[in-house]
Amino acid sequence: MSGFIARSRRHVGFQIGAVLLLLFVGTALVSLVWTPFPVDELRMRYKLLPSSPQNLLGTDHLGRDVLSRIMVGAQTSIAVGLISVGIGMSLGVALGAWAAARGGWVDEALSRTSDLIFAFPAVLIAILVTSVLGASARNAILAIAIFNIPVFARVTRGAALAMWSRDFVRAATALGQGPFGITWRHILPNIASVLIVQATIQFAVAILAEAGLSYLGLGAQPPVPSWGRMLRDAQTYIFQAPELALWPGLAVALAVLGLNMLGDGLRDLLDPRLRLMRVG
Amino acid sequence: MLDFLSRRFAAALVTLALATVVVFAVVEVLPGDPALVMLGTEARPDTLAALRAQYGFDQPLPVRYLHWIGGLLSFDLGNSHAYGTPVAKLIGDRLAVTLPLGALALSWAVLVAVPLGVLAAWKHGTAGDWGVMGFTQIGISVPNFWFGIVLVLLFAVTWQVFPSGGFPGWRQDPRGSVVALVLPALALSLSEIAILTRVTRSAMLDTLREDYVRTARAKGAPERVVLFRHALRNALIPVTTVAGLIAGFLIAGAVIIESVFRLPGVGQLVYDSINNRDLVVIKNVVVLFTILVLAVNLLVDVAYVLLDPRPRVAA
Repeated sequence: MSGFIARSRRHVGFQIGAVLLLLFVGTALVSLVWTPFPVDELRMRYKLLPSSPQNLLGTDHLGRDVLSRIMVGAQTSIAVGLISVGIGMSLGVALGAWAAARGGWVDEALSRTSDLIFAFPAVLIAILVTSVLGASARNAILAIAIFNIPVFARVTRGAALAMWSRDFVRAATALGQGPFGITWRHILPNIASVLIVQATIQFAVAILAEAGLSYLGLGAQPPVPSWGRMLRDAQTYIFQAPELALWPGLAVALAVLGLNMLGDGLRDLLDPRLRLMRVG
Repeated sequence: MLDFLSRRFAAALVTLALATVVVFAVVEVLPGDPALVMLGTEARPDTLAALRAQYGFDQPLPVRYLHWIGGLLSFDLGNSHAYGTPVAKLIGDRLAVTLPLGALALSWAVLVAVPLGVLAAWKHGTAGDWGVMGFTQIGISVPNFWFGIVLVLLFAVTWQVFPSGGFPGWRQDPRGSVVALVLPALALSLSEIAILTRVTRSAMLDTLREDYVRTARAKGAPERVVLFRHALRNALIPVTTVAGLIAGFLIAGAVIIESVFRLPGVGQLVYDSINNRDLVVIKNVVVLFTILVLAVNLLVDVAYVLLDPRPRVAA
């Protein structure tokens, strides 16, 4: 662990990523207790104002304070990212570890199913799900989670298969430990770094996907503040208040950049040979 | 070689068949009563019954599925509920916008990314390499629809050299139509440029370490020839694979970008069909996207075989 900290001090990308992530999470935490203005306070007299000392990032088409809404929007992004990656990761890791331990038809069926899901572009899965189940933050989370399952299943399967051929795992098998016990005690702890790095990258992908879905009106519904939705509203007023279209997008870009840099940094620091999946 | 390709083709057909089952299940079985989804809960019973009869929703599931597949094979997809026109014609008209948009974005991405990647690999470890890598990190982090909005802010609102959106139509105004696709293609290509640059760079780093590159340099071949004829030629194999994968994502990314620029493409059609709850259009468009993705993957396999003789034997 001390070696990790020492090496991380020399990794500039990792540090930038960590600072951006702290800023992102910190903003969300602060917004739980304080925002410059109440997020949903409508003040039509003050609509579409440019930046000023009162409203640092201006006001939107309903006179709401943009900075306050961006701060609370960070909560939405984090919630969607955490829950969708959490669901996708737990199911995907379980399935991938099962396929690696069991082999045979389980492995074959799982690989073919994930091929099938990858044949649909992610946005389309999300659109299909939300078009049938209705547009809401919950269904956006579900759609993103569905796409995350095969990503984690594939990465877990590959890493676990490599572990199963190692001597210490063979020794455990020879000692009579069952496949479940070996997976839990030996395989998963040894592939944890791959999974952590992949989870960081998927978190970034989830935030991008949520922003895209809300931009299309298929994610979080008003009045829940969401960065994608803010961009959608801002575009209508692009000639009157061009600034409005800048801030929420910058927020998405910085949050995603932070997670991506952190993920790449973690990969270098934990295990430079890791192979990652990058699908969006 | 033919054996390898025909096996790939068969695998793609199986995937496609499974995909149609999934789409059918999600669109027509999962919601319970598709007629109710399309008309809403406040619809009158006789209107519901009429719609069920019109689309055959009152028939058993296997019959409905086979009827749809039969229609797909004969390009008779039925009529759109919202537009009242044949779905096949509707999709065909929209493809005339989406396919050129995707092609423009992909060509632009390849034209920018390959030289950038070669440059970064050639100047490995220098400030130029760091700059290119930093750019790719930003490129994959910026949402492409926001980049589109920023392009509109710059080129349509501030300088007014490009339209902020809309599409005049190929027949009415061919030149205006090309101009209308420039900003959307730029926006669409940003993350693809970033990914392709990274792939080109790492593939070039691999080939530049090969013995034949050292031999070429030892023979006194000019650096330009070494880079482009010896190293890049072999680095192109992984680049082609990723370019193909990306082409699939471009098609999907078009859904959002067309919405930003109000282009009447397939993406807009999907979006409008969701709002109109036009399930007939949605299920066919999703299958069409899947066919496009699979077709592109097959094309990649063909390119693979042409570029690299090894899989011809190995598979």
